[in-house]
Amino acid sequence: MSGPTVRSGDRGFRYTLVAPSIFVLLLIGVFPIVYLLMVSFQGLTMTDNDTSFQGLLNFRALLDDTRLWQSLMHTVFFTAIALPAELLLGLAMAQLFIDRMPGRQVFIALLVLPVVVAPIVSGATWSLMFDNRFGPINQILGWITGEEMAVLWTVKPHLVYPAILMAEIWQWTPFMFLLLLAALSGVDKSQLEAASIDGAGWWSTFFRIVLPAIWPVMAVAILIRGLDLFRLFDVVWALTKGGPGTMTETISIFTYVKGFQQFETSYTGAVALLIIVLLTVLLTVLLKRVSIAR
Amino acid sequence: MKRSANLRLALRYLGALVLTVFFLFPIYWLFMISFKTADEIYAFPPVWWPETMQWDNYIVLFRDGDATTVLNSFIVAGASTVLAMFLGTICAYSIARFRTGGDNLANWILSQRMVPPVAVVFPIFLLYVWFGIVDTYLGLILLYTAFNLPYVIWMMRGYILDIPLALEESALVDGCSRWQVIWKVVFPMCRAGLFATAIFTFVFAWNDFIFALVLTRTEITTYTVQVTHYFGGQSNFWSKISAMSVLGTVPVFIVVGFMQRYLVRGISLGAVKG
Amino acid sequence: MSDVSSLRRMAAAVRFALLPIAATGMLLGSGGASAASAAQTAVDAAKPLCAGGKTITIVWEAGLQSLDPQNFSGPMWEKLTGCKVKVVEVPASEMFTKIMQEYRAGTGAYDALNVVPAWMPDLVQAGALEPLDALVDKYKYRAELKNIAPTYRDNQMTVNGKIYGFPDDGDVFVMYYRKDIFADAALKKAFKAQFKYDLAPPKTWKQFDEIGAFLTEKLKAKGTYGASMFREAGYGNFLFQERFRNEGGRFFDGNTMKATINSPVGVKVFEGWRAENRFMPPGVEKFGFVENLATFVKGESAMTISWPPYGRFAAGYLANEKALDWVPKTTIAGKVGYALPPGGHPQLAMGFALSVASTSKQKEAAYLFIQWLNSEEISNQRVKLPYALRDPFRNSHFTNPEYLKLWPDAKNYLATLQAGSKTGLLDLSLIQTDKYEEALRQGISRLWAGEDAKKILDDIAKEWDTVTQKVGVDKQKAVYNAWAAKGGAYPK
Repeated sequence: MSGPTVRSGDRGFRYTLVAPSIFVLLLIGVFPIVYLLMVSFQGLTMTDNDTSFQGLLNFRALLDDTRLWQSLMHTVFFTAIALPAELLLGLAMAQLFIDRMPGRQVFIALLVLPVVVAPIVSGATWSLMFDNRFGPINQILGWITGEEMAVLWTVKPHLVYPAILMAEIWQWTPFMFLLLLAALSGVDKSQLEAASIDGAGWWSTFFRIVLPAIWPVMAVAILIRGLDLFRLFDVVWALTKGGPGTMTETISIFTYVKGFQQFETSYTGAVALLIIVLLTVLLTVLLKRVSIAR
Repeated sequence: MKRSANLRLALRYLGALVLTVFFLFPIYWLFMISFKTADEIYAFPPVWWPETMQWDNYIVLFRDGDATTVLNSFIVAGASTVLAMFLGTICAYSIARFRTGGDNLANWILSQRMVPPVAVVFPIFLLYVWFGIVDTYLGLILLYTAFNLPYVIWMMRGYILDIPLALEESALVDGCSRWQVIWKVVFPMCRAGLFATAIFTFVFAWNDFIFALVLTRTEITTYTVQVTHYFGGQSNFWSKISAMSVLGTVPVFIVVGFMQRYLVRGISLGAVKG
Repeated sequence: MSDVSSLRRMAAAVRFALLPIAATGMLLGSGGASAASAAQTAVDAAKPLCAGGKTITIVWEAGLQSLDPQNFSGPMWEKLTGCKVKVVEVPASEMFTKIMQEYRAGTGAYDALNVVPAWMPDLVQAGALEPLDALVDKYKYRAELKNIAPTYRDNQMTVNGKIYGFPDDGDVFVMYYRKDIFADAALKKAFKAQFKYDLAPPKTWKQFDEIGAFLTEKLKAKGTYGASMFREAGYGNFLFQERFRNEGGRFFDGNTMKATINSPVGVKVFEGWRAENRFMPPGVEKFGFVENLATFVKGESAMTISWPPYGRFAAGYLANEKALDWVPKTTIAGKVGYALPPGGHPQLAMGFALSVASTSKQKEAAYLFIQWLNSEEISNQRVKLPYALRDPFRNSHFTNPEYLKLWPDAKNYLATLQAGSKTGLLDLSLIQTDKYEEALRQGISRLWAGEDAKKILDDIAKEWDTVTQKVGVDKQKAVYNAWAAKGGAYPK
């Protein structure tokens, strides 16, 4: 082929295109990591400006910090419940809306609204909803049970997790729904018909044809939500601030408390690095299993 | 046969209705509070419909200037979206067409999006102090641009790969410069992709709380930060919390409403080609 | 310029006309006090500093509190001196964070600060606050500082003998009760018959329990409970500190610095709380400032303990004030009595002091602004702003003739606040106080979660000991003993 081809861009041009983005990312992305690395080997606290080298002191302290590991467990627990719940509910909803029905688009448009509400706003809204006295949830329960309910959703240990999960699932199930709906519409209709003619049951059709077809999308959805849940902050903060005690404290809340309320600057640096390392490992493993790239 | 189909449809409507009620009720409740008086907000049992739709809670926000925080949100979210879309798209073009930096660069860029904000926000604050851009539009715009770039690059790379090479080749043959190819072929060809990506870039910046909390003081307070100003030790202005939240939420509802058809691909990191 | 001079002329005229009253005592209004008043000194000194239009940035609690500098004192200061005032509104829960964060980064973004006195040791230790003694002398403020009510003056102003902030908010927990209920003849008779003493605001927690349960039994059908109370952890923290010390508890052993919060007294307080909830509105475990306020002003509880604004809100004074829209309308105006809480030593919970940031680039101008705000003349106007939440903290505030006229019972209200300020107990204040309080707050939320009181308190004590170890036992011990030696640390 004569003349210029698209793929043979000159070096200057191709690097000019990426340079601004790389510059911005380095500026905002790399400095914090360098800073965290630096302070995590020092002894900075709220009242102490000790910048001398402390070796691995802060990292060793991580190991003994039960509150840290508990917060990590809480995070895992939230993820373990919320993620499958959102996925299954989202899938069921997608099934409901997969076939044509008049007004379908309107329903879909309304159902996705929770996704774009700011998490801090949705947290505030749910704390109002769950208010034992001025909120509607206890009132509705009261109608169902026929007696006045004063359930303390954000106080009692067996209720805080359901309350937080409810808010979380409310906000993000529509996300799963939207994705899975799109994935389902992409399933080859002729295969489904063939299966139906063969007399395959609903379950076997689902597992043999539908699931493999929607899996790539589902995997991405799980990945995105999984990473988001790992950083869970706003909703828990608005509802319980991590309480009662530290019962619902997530890893992000723990980091915030250590860093921004107690100013354990160096220790927080170590915690932040731990999170980043964990996330990187998690991501690498997941990306290997789930080929996101086309 | 016909009857069972009708029954099925009826059941589906019932299901759809129940779901819609469940997912919209909290939003309804938030909106309703903003029209209630203090007595109605603290009424027991709770009131589901205010006696009169009064706009006082909003009037107060406009009178005191609190409503301008929505404008601030608009400026930072809007500007950072435009910037991230432009920078990200040309970067994505380079990666898609020339494989610049190989897989490593692409993966590194994507990993930048995964860092939890709470872990890095303090160092970024320090950095901004040195640059003197705390509490400036520039500061937040730069930050949101940076945090959205990985997403934009990732998304746009996918869209650009969908454009047939031949189109660009013929443009080059016709004498277009490299930049003109991007401007005249690439951008128009992936317009749908630009929209889909821009929505989420915008919504992310619009809804962010923790960065705005740390990196602003008074001048460019965004609406999410303003909402938290109404939670006090000795006061909880539910009327203002809800009215401010509504002011901040309605714009994204409108944007999303108009851009419905671009939503799916954007939300799925490009995994679903909507 | 002509604005200012005409204002001054007016002030002079007013001063002349009011001379007889001025001679008898306190006088209000910008022109009222003598020429050498601290307010005037500050204004005169600030004028040259402000030439060319400077801006002073001050951190203030977001919400109602900020209306004072935004609508009242800020514009007034600008008019008087030419210095603009920029208010950085920060929610109470973020204030410490914001102040430390800016200090750590050395931004100099804040000139003056609102600081909770219990934070002062931490902020001073970190170096965030400017010592004010030299400026106090330079601008002759000592005399007026002396007239701040003794508790606040002696306890919330200095760290290690140096002045770091001017106490500016007389926060004290007072008991509010329904006079009409306590005066009800039938109730009184029935109560006397049952308990052998007169129905009156409780003097001990045992009485509180009996009276509360009795009133709930009698009045619940009419929708009124015997009492409602802060129970949410953030507020409960203060109530715990108050009751624990009123009952004879000590936070630490002064010799070993071992935490003694898990003593039998602590257990008694926790178990007492839990038991009392039986006669309070359902869901009281979640009550914070607003929930409790709503319950009380709507007549749904007969007693409660809270900060001074409850008294003003319940009296319904200036209920038409737009800024107070969020307060449910009071149905009990004129029916509210004021008393000290059981035990007689109320918590001086939180409060605010005005300080100068050590990183400010215009410390002197910032200082003059806070001196002016805090002065006799200006503070007397600020504490009676209907929407503000600054509570009386100067001797003169308690007898301010205009304040006394604000509602029929204001006299008793102010007298009770003053009595409370005299016997009040300080918030625990050590190095890293928030870590100790955080452990306590978490303990309270666990109490409502249903855990065993003793077990919780043991955990708190363990956590406290860990924090002490980290800070350094000897270092913390010195700070604690200095704090414990203060008049308001423990009941005498």
